[in-house]
Amino acid sequence: MKRSLAVSLFLLAFVFAGCGEESEPPQTAEAAAAVEKVSESAATPPMARVERLRVATTTSLYDTGLWGYLEPMFEDRFDVELDVLYAGTGKAIDWGKRGDVDVITVHSRAREELFVSEGYGVERVPFAYNYFLIVGPADDPAGISGMNPEEAFAVLMDNGEAIFVSRGDDSGTHGKEKSIWTAAGFDYDSDVRTAGAWYVEGGSGMGPTLVMANEMQGYTLSDIGTYLAYQGDLDLVPIVDQGDALLNVYSVLQVEASGNPELSLALVEFLTSPDIQQLIGNYGLEVYGIQLFTPCAGQEI
Amino acid sequence: MILQMKNIRLKREKNRILNGVSLDVPEGCFFVLMGPTGCGKTTLLRLAGLLDRPDSGKILFKGTSLPRKGKNLLQTRRRIATMFQSPVMFRGTVSSNIAWGLKIRGIPKTEIIRRVEQILGFVGLDGFAGRYASTLSGGEKRRAALARALVLEPELLILDEPTTSLDPAFKRDLLGRMKEIHARTGTTFLMATHDFTDALAVGTVGAVMRDGLIEQSGSMDDILFKPDNHFMASFTGVRNIFPAEFQGFKARIRELSIAHAEDRHGHGFLAIPPEVIVLSLSPKITSERNRFTGVVKSIERNGTNWDIVVEVAGVSLIVAITTGALNELFITPGSTIHLSFKASAVHLF
Amino acid sequence: MTHLFEAFNIALRMIVTGDSVVFSIALRTLLIASTSTLAATLLFVPLGCMVHFSTFRGKRLAVGFIQTMYSVPTVFVGMLVFLMVSRSGPIGGMGLLFSPWAIILGEIVLIAPIITGLTISALQSTGKCLEDTATALGAGRGIMILKVLTEAKYTMLTSVLMGFGRAVSEVGVAIMVGGNISGYTRTLTTAIALGVGKGETASSIALGLILLFLAMMVSIVVNLLQHGHGGEK
Repeated sequence: MKRSLAVSLFLLAFVFAGCGEESEPPQTAEAAAAVEKVSESAATPPMARVERLRVATTTSLYDTGLWGYLEPMFEDRFDVELDVLYAGTGKAIDWGKRGDVDVITVHSRAREELFVSEGYGVERVPFAYNYFLIVGPADDPAGISGMNPEEAFAVLMDNGEAIFVSRGDDSGTHGKEKSIWTAAGFDYDSDVRTAGAWYVEGGSGMGPTLVMANEMQGYTLSDIGTYLAYQGDLDLVPIVDQGDALLNVYSVLQVEASGNPELSLALVEFLTSPDIQQLIGNYGLEVYGIQLFTPCAGQEI
Repeated sequence: MILQMKNIRLKREKNRILNGVSLDVPEGCFFVLMGPTGCGKTTLLRLAGLLDRPDSGKILFKGTSLPRKGKNLLQTRRRIATMFQSPVMFRGTVSSNIAWGLKIRGIPKTEIIRRVEQILGFVGLDGFAGRYASTLSGGEKRRAALARALVLEPELLILDEPTTSLDPAFKRDLLGRMKEIHARTGTTFLMATHDFTDALAVGTVGAVMRDGLIEQSGSMDDILFKPDNHFMASFTGVRNIFPAEFQGFKARIRELSIAHAEDRHGHGFLAIPPEVIVLSLSPKITSERNRFTGVVKSIERNGTNWDIVVEVAGVSLIVAITTGALNELFITPGSTIHLSFKASAVHLF
Repeated sequence: MTHLFEAFNIALRMIVTGDSVVFSIALRTLLIASTSTLAATLLFVPLGCMVHFSTFRGKRLAVGFIQTMYSVPTVFVGMLVFLMVSRSGPIGGMGLLFSPWAIILGEIVLIAPIITGLTISALQSTGKCLEDTATALGAGRGIMILKVLTEAKYTMLTSVLMGFGRAVSEVGVAIMVGGNISGYTRTLTTAIALGVGKGETASSIALGLILLFLAMMVSIVVNLLQHGHGGEK
């Protein structure tokens, strides 16, 4: 009895020790880096009930850290807790249809237009774009460097040995990949998915897919932002980066069923406002030396 | 009578456990319920302890029929205490175990302390009050359980096989203490045992069960020396049982004619308890009507006594004598010896 | 290898210096898991007692069913709770999805069979003998049940701890209905799942060590309860 009491007291002490540390600033450079990386907003109490707005975002905007960067600004400006949920475009759209989120930021034009025309979304508002890349091992085993994406995919299919890791998760990137296969003259379900062991369906987000391709020394289709964010941990290099098919447009959509239309609209306007557009354009410039996102509010793309 | 059970029947999952048991337990006695394992003793004791209800039949406590449920049943049950075959101790100390029954009866603390201390001395566990019950040995655990039941000062104390799996020394000790406590407190004891020698050691009255029925009940002497039938005779361990042909006050076993005290005719059984036969080197002048001459066939130790097998007219009789008697007789196998016993000591069934 | 070693070093330093991110996640995980364990205890320990002390038709079957539910997959519970609390689900109006309350609800469902079943087992292992002993010493039904509960309390506490252990270490429910929202529904397990995916080895190891520590504490306490008090029968 005494012993178990001591143990519970110890546990309790541990809990409160955790509380005490919460408000203190990170004490080491590594810890500071980790704070930035996990992008945990430690300032809010763990379970407080305040006004909350939910945005479901495609993983690429999350894994690049863009949302982690914008989130506190929006929260400060509108005095609201913004909950950022990351998922593939397919899942984000599904959450939107169910009414479980207020706003979605995704990148698949055809599905976004369907989402709006079916009455689930208010309007498709593009706010930034960049390009997809086909990345792969530096020695380029299939020899697809410099080709356009359709040609490159055709060569991969011919080769039948060089590994290609697909997102395989119904995300926007996955949709893009499928459309390239179609453009290259293949039926995705009957030709590509059954093509052989070289075609790997990873079933996870962009970051994990890059890590997987790196482990398997295979090719994959990635948005440039996520690739750059992960580049330090990867041996993969860009192989194909030219071609209209690689354009990647991010849109923000207010969900029709949102319980908080004012704030949802505010988020759309926030992302397309000139000052934030400028911040999006500059995001990552210092770290990677190149632009991750090109702002495009007001343009029809 | 403190407890009367009338025509008790009980079934468990289609097995008939009790088939119409009737039992009277006189107040103040040490009643032993005997019978082989699985005969229904434990089931009957649970009914006697008011822990279960019979399918049919009547149970009277001090002449009052018991209600099926309710406060009255609890009140009556609190006048009875049961100690189970393998007692379970509660967590905590020996004294907290013993005090529990008193505590739930709302007895004042000082009174509890006094009674617990007293009862520990009774069962020979002085100095054990603060010991954790889990650290007790098998024998100590039984004594603690006995104390836990006794401290409630029940009018009827029920003990289910209190000595099973105890070493002989612990067993003798426990039985001795129970007998002493019975004499001192005047509480009625109802004890079940499959061991006839245990029953003899403590019992004043008893009953023998077989297959859910009472075979025989009465004083321990009657059960020992006057078995109602062959099962009883072999259960109690009475030897010298023979099939006989009765002719009035005489019975014939092969060539041997034995006098007895009952007028009976026809075939039956006859028992001559080994303890009642007297051996002598010369023919004895005595009023006993059964006097024979035989030849010693074997001499064997039986506990502290000796079993002498003597052949008389083609019949082997076992005679139980003490070591002292054996030393006086100077007999060896092959010796000629004289036997005598009373006609009234012969039991017919 | 050196990379891993370095990451491990940083992780240890994060724990020792009380890194605010790591500890706020750990604290949140503890709060969520203990809230669900507390709620499940209040709901399902009494249910286990009721099942044990009552007799009804099909009791054995019911107990058997509860015990097979011990290993119900967390993602199955996650899916079930998602469909319940999603805005288009039956209790969607409460707006629980993607909040800690959804995780708590899911964890309650997840550990309900464990707490109910192990409570029943605890009472069973205490045994009919104890019930009889209490009754034979003059206890009415109420006092008898109270005595059995007192005797079984350490074993019953074990069932609660087992429930807590499962709640604290599960990932399926937390990620499906919590959504791994930074600063709100991010728990040790979901943070690790995300961190490893993003190659954040050091913070993942730190979180993993804390999770391991919690799981081990539960095991140690369970062991202490079983061996420290189990002998006292």
